[in-house]
Amino acid sequence: MNVRKIFITSAQQISMQQPLCHQWMVEPLSSTEPYVRSCEPNYREFLSPIESRRLGKVLKRALVTSLKVMSDSGVTNPDAIITGTGLGCVENTESFLKALCIDGEQLLKPTHFMQSTHNTIGSLIAIHTKSHGYNVTYSDKATSFESALYDALLQFAVTPIKNALVGSHDEVTPSYFTLLKRIGYVGQPGQVACSEASVAMMLQADVATGAWCEVEKMEMLYSPQPDELEAALCGIVAEAQPDAIVAGINNEPANDCGYSKIASLELPIVAYKRAFGENYSASALGVYAAARMIKENRIPQYLLAKGDMPDKVERLLVVNHSDNKNYSFLLLKKCGL
Amino acid sequence: MNHTPIVITGAGIVSAIGNDCSQTLRSLLDSKSGIAPLRYLATDHHEFPVGEVKLSNDEMADIVNVPKQAPVTRTSLMGMMALDEALRDAALSPSDLRNVSFVSGTTVGGMDKSEQYYLDFLDSDNHKEYIATHDCGACSQMIADHAGRFARVFTPSTACSSAANAIILGANLIRSGRADIVVAGGAECITKYHLNGFNSLMILDEKPCRPFDATRAGLNLGEGAAYVVLESEDSARRRGASPWCSLSGWGNACDAFHQTASSDNGEGAYLAMKQALEMAALAPCDIDYINAHGTGTPNNDASETVAMKRLFGSMVPAVSSTKSMTGHTTSASGAIEMVICMLALRHSFLPVNVNWANAMPDGIIPVNELKQNIDLSHVLCNSFGFGGNDSSLLISKR
Repeated sequence: MNVRKIFITSAQQISMQQPLCHQWMVEPLSSTEPYVRSCEPNYREFLSPIESRRLGKVLKRALVTSLKVMSDSGVTNPDAIITGTGLGCVENTESFLKALCIDGEQLLKPTHFMQSTHNTIGSLIAIHTKSHGYNVTYSDKATSFESALYDALLQFAVTPIKNALVGSHDEVTPSYFTLLKRIGYVGQPGQVACSEASVAMMLQADVATGAWCEVEKMEMLYSPQPDELEAALCGIVAEAQPDAIVAGINNEPANDCGYSKIASLELPIVAYKRAFGENYSASALGVYAAARMIKENRIPQYLLAKGDMPDKVERLLVVNHSDNKNYSFLLLKKCGL
Repeated sequence: MNHTPIVITGAGIVSAIGNDCSQTLRSLLDSKSGIAPLRYLATDHHEFPVGEVKLSNDEMADIVNVPKQAPVTRTSLMGMMALDEALRDAALSPSDLRNVSFVSGTTVGGMDKSEQYYLDFLDSDNHKEYIATHDCGACSQMIADHAGRFARVFTPSTACSSAANAIILGANLIRSGRADIVVAGGAECITKYHLNGFNSLMILDEKPCRPFDATRAGLNLGEGAAYVVLESEDSARRRGASPWCSLSGWGNACDAFHQTASSDNGEGAYLAMKQALEMAALAPCDIDYINAHGTGTPNNDASETVAMKRLFGSMVPAVSSTKSMTGHTTSASGAIEMVICMLALRHSFLPVNVNWANAMPDGIIPVNELKQNIDLSHVLCNSFGFGGNDSSLLISKR
């Protein structure tokens, strides 16, 4: 059905690595802290001082990563804007919620409420770029980005769109880190850092040259039994013959057991969360990193968690899950293969 | 391009005007509003009438067989009720669900518990089980897992158009051949969080709301959940399911104007409705009824009226906003109003825009008394959200 070829033509990130560049491929920033906030770029290059002051962190990062991929790819007005976020505009939500819980219901101001729905992010990008096209936001825990990407591929399959801006954005405030740690999601002994992520990428159909990689196949599987998971994984590996698997391993046993089937395959494993940490939009960084590794035909040694360095990086299978429950499989391949 | 016909083979609904399809139909035929003084939400703002579902959380837990101690949110409980009814109506059993996708829109998610326990979350482990039920995805997963093991679960979150966008994703899953059957809709309870948020924006009315009335002064919040079972025509035929109607078109466009206000020319609304008609290859004169977004705020109703007039000219079809009876059920509204449209189509009536008395300048005159024995062929259902996330759904009689 999906007869058109879909390519990632540019991607950018703001994370615990150096922002708006791919320096982590050669010179990663590392941290032993359990909680690390994103490295902020110089917003003045992209936003007016008023805009910069008015927007919360996640909104600024989302807008700037999006504007950067738009300028990198030459798409000024995307046909579709599809956004993932696990927790949305946490800073604004908490401001309003704290005022509600502490000061009561009489003195609340609308400022933080107005920018606290999840779709504030995607709408901001549309307002900024005057894009009237398809615009949807998904919030599916640690596979929010995958929901957005899945929808984008459906849009390419059933509508004539030529491009789609797809991203996922999550900020983690100090208080929300406390909450997520309380439920064991982050901050566990030995686990990679709890981080933040803003990732934007441009998907385009049938481009001739210059793309990073092609999106060959995507599957999602909810609440699989062990045998269903194994069948899905082995099926896609046999069909795809990837050079390596890029997986959401984070050094926390409850999370990593969801990747045990992958570990039993005879394939190198790339643990991207060593560079980028854990948060609800981390999987978007995994896809970004995989696309970049194909573009550069190289896997940074420090990310190789198992197996030997492959002699070529042309086909990567990205596997993520959320709570051992919602699984995603994405096959990226070198253009022209 | 492949155009697999999509039919709707099941529906479930819970709102202020009924806990299932038959109660909802009765209320619609009686033009009986569910908007009333606050009863269930613990808030100081008793000056605002609301469209609450007339059940406590414990009563809902009994209905859906969830233990009262289980960490479950009001949004999820309402979602479970509506999902159970939709699956029963479509004759889908738990063992069928492995090939069925579930798409459920919400924005508020588990905020009802978070606003109750947030200070505990910060300071101690008390009530920490509700930290993991706060987010939107958790809410859909709880609803999904109550019914069985769905193949895929997605959670669109586009504020007040979330459920409409859930139905659009469902339709695209089927049209692309990725699914034969999708249960799509949304759920949302009233919380102090958004009651106060809307109050701070000064868009709540202390009187029953009056969509499209010159004296309209804001919306009344509502709550509820609804799901429709979307299915490829082939799949419905194979199963022997009897469709309510076809989903013949849909549109999604962004107003790209303001985070909380609609543009004067209603661009997003206009584009969404236009796309829906074009997809169904219908002319404006083919539409028999529009269930408007019609929140009752001065801004929305003026902007939506302009959009309808741009598309339909002087021949705007019959219009009503059933939010005058249900209240604004926010993220659930797209699905709740979709099921209301399906009931209208099946039972040949036009739902009333209650409390309407005075025409807006350059306004439309909405349906202000019940009209029965009206043969409806094509019905449009509008849902617009904060951020200008505007969507429109089109259903047609088979």
